[in-house]
Amino acid sequence: MSAEHATTALTVDGVSKTFKVHQERANSLKQYLAARGRNRYEEFYALRDVSFEVRDGEAFGVIGHNGSGKSTLLKCMAGILQPNTGSVTVHRRMSALLELGAGFHPELSGRDNVFLNAAILGMSRPEIARRFDQIVDFSGLEQFIDTPVKTYSSGMYVRLAFAVAINVDPEMLLIDEILAVGDIAFQQKCMEKFAQFREEGRTLVLVTHDMGSIRNFCDRAIWLDHGNVAGEGSPTELVDLYTESMLSEDDSEPAADGARRGSGEIKVDRVEMIVGDQPTLRVQTGDTVTFRLHYSTSEPVKTPVFAVEIGRLGAATITAPSTRDAELVPDVVSGSGVLDVTMDRIALLPGPHVLHTEVTDFGRQHNYDHIQNALRFDVIAGDSNEVNGLVTTRPQWSLEQRG
Amino acid sequence: MSLRNAVAHRNLLYLLTLKELRTRYRKSVLGWTWSLLNPLSQMLIFSFLFLVVFKAEPPIGDPSGLQAFPLYFLAGLLPFQFFSISVTTAMGVVEGNASLIKKVSFPHEHLVWSVVLAQVITLLIEIAVLAIALLLAGSMVLPWLVVVLPLIGLLMLFTTGLALALSAANVFFRDINYLWGIAAQLLFYASPIIYTPDVIDIDALRWFTSWGPTGAFVRAFHEVLYDNRMPSPERWGLLVVYSVGLFAFGSWFFGRLSPKFAEEM
Repeated sequence: MSAEHATTALTVDGVSKTFKVHQERANSLKQYLAARGRNRYEEFYALRDVSFEVRDGEAFGVIGHNGSGKSTLLKCMAGILQPNTGSVTVHRRMSALLELGAGFHPELSGRDNVFLNAAILGMSRPEIARRFDQIVDFSGLEQFIDTPVKTYSSGMYVRLAFAVAINVDPEMLLIDEILAVGDIAFQQKCMEKFAQFREEGRTLVLVTHDMGSIRNFCDRAIWLDHGNVAGEGSPTELVDLYTESMLSEDDSEPAADGARRGSGEIKVDRVEMIVGDQPTLRVQTGDTVTFRLHYSTSEPVKTPVFAVEIGRLGAATITAPSTRDAELVPDVVSGSGVLDVTMDRIALLPGPHVLHTEVTDFGRQHNYDHIQNALRFDVIAGDSNEVNGLVTTRPQWSLEQRG
Repeated sequence: MSLRNAVAHRNLLYLLTLKELRTRYRKSVLGWTWSLLNPLSQMLIFSFLFLVVFKAEPPIGDPSGLQAFPLYFLAGLLPFQFFSISVTTAMGVVEGNASLIKKVSFPHEHLVWSVVLAQVITLLIEIAVLAIALLLAGSMVLPWLVVVLPLIGLLMLFTTGLALALSAANVFFRDINYLWGIAAQLLFYASPIIYTPDVIDIDALRWFTSWGPTGAFVRAFHEVLYDNRMPSPERWGLLVVYSVGLFAFGSWFFGRLSPKFAEEM
């Protein structure tokens, strides 16, 4: 082994992979012979000249939207598909988790399937025998290990399959999506196992479109876009770039798609989001944001209450402050004007968000104007690395070790 | 290449074979008895046709002196059935493991090998039962069982070769499966299982029935088990050529196509 390879776990060098998109696929000899000589398919590039290296002991991420070539790349790395050009060189004993329980036979017992599955994943007989108890213990299926797997629930099935896959003792593990299997307790176990993997200096390659796991897990990542490498580097930067590119793709439909109701004496004509004096539709966690409501009235309105409601797109309301909460209710409003609501160090975590506006009477019983989805905007990663949940509480951690 | 691979992954091969054997007769009441009932029922049918309907004269074993059509029939049928069932099953197993092939990287030829290994265990049991029947009929077949073993070895190579070639081709063209159904029947009647080669008038056909690939094997099994004599060096030579040739071709062909299985399935 040369010195340069001593730190390389896997090399992907100029890999391209095309698929033939058949207009009419020759599935039988007759069709094949009939179609001979005629070009009945188009070539589709799933991967185009992809090169990168995975170093020993790192957790490497591959991100990209659906259809970006992630899965094809993973299959090429796992040796299931052969690239048309270029090469994949694997320097470490590798195990690929593409599907759990592929090769389980329903009529065979859990025990027999453990042995068979582990052998398919490349383990020798003494190795399996040595690890058998560990596998069964991990799966938590001791009582059922001698019954045929066809009697297992789907949860039990994946637990056993995962227990085998994670215990095959590879130097390098390829994973397609963080496998969400079993209940919380079992997922916890899996996460601990992955962490242990990393501590032991093994290499992980993770293919996913879940940005959270890339940030939490990976040291380095590449971003695949339509089969090309669009970026390579630290996961945090890459995830931001990726998220931005995803968002810019639907910039075409920015604002109000909202349904409007209310009696209309006072109306919100336009809503802007302003960050650093610039109107924008994108904000980073931690930015100071002003939402500017342009309103007009058809007649003077007494003690109107303005409210905005912010929520994650398609999910719960996060916050809904009003001018009444702020004890800023004018006696009467007439003509037109601008109302600003400014939020310092906004705590929203990355994701698509919506803003609804509402103007009511003081008792909040009568609706003058309500606009659902008055503004759609996106939060991208800023001063917080948190990815789970809707907002950051800006936590301060402290650790005091005793003994 | 294929052989070396098989040795390196012998654990996988062992477990796949075990799976093949264990799952074969699941959910059937008679289970393994079927592997004996099937040739026995065929023996009864063809013996009835041969002896009662056509009133034909059973061949006489030379030098064993045996004259029993059912035993002659089984001595040829058992190896032939091993061959044809193995090839059919191998195609089905490769096809049936599409999900595995698409999701896991492993040596695909092991699927085919495991089928042949599982079938050869059935063949050995059947030959043992036949040997008992031969002993009961007064033929001292025991020393000849030693000669049957290398014969079975060659038949395994031959069968694996064809099974590899056809199961690989079948991934790309499912017609192969049906074509093989017809070819297997043709080969059955073109081998001297329900007749002896000397009843055929056409020279080329007679030659094929005793020296063609399947015919040569069937004749060799007749000679060893029914006649109790050593097949000629010519026959051994031809069997080695057929077996090694087909095995080499099948392994090469399968090796060429198997990297494309995942894409094609």
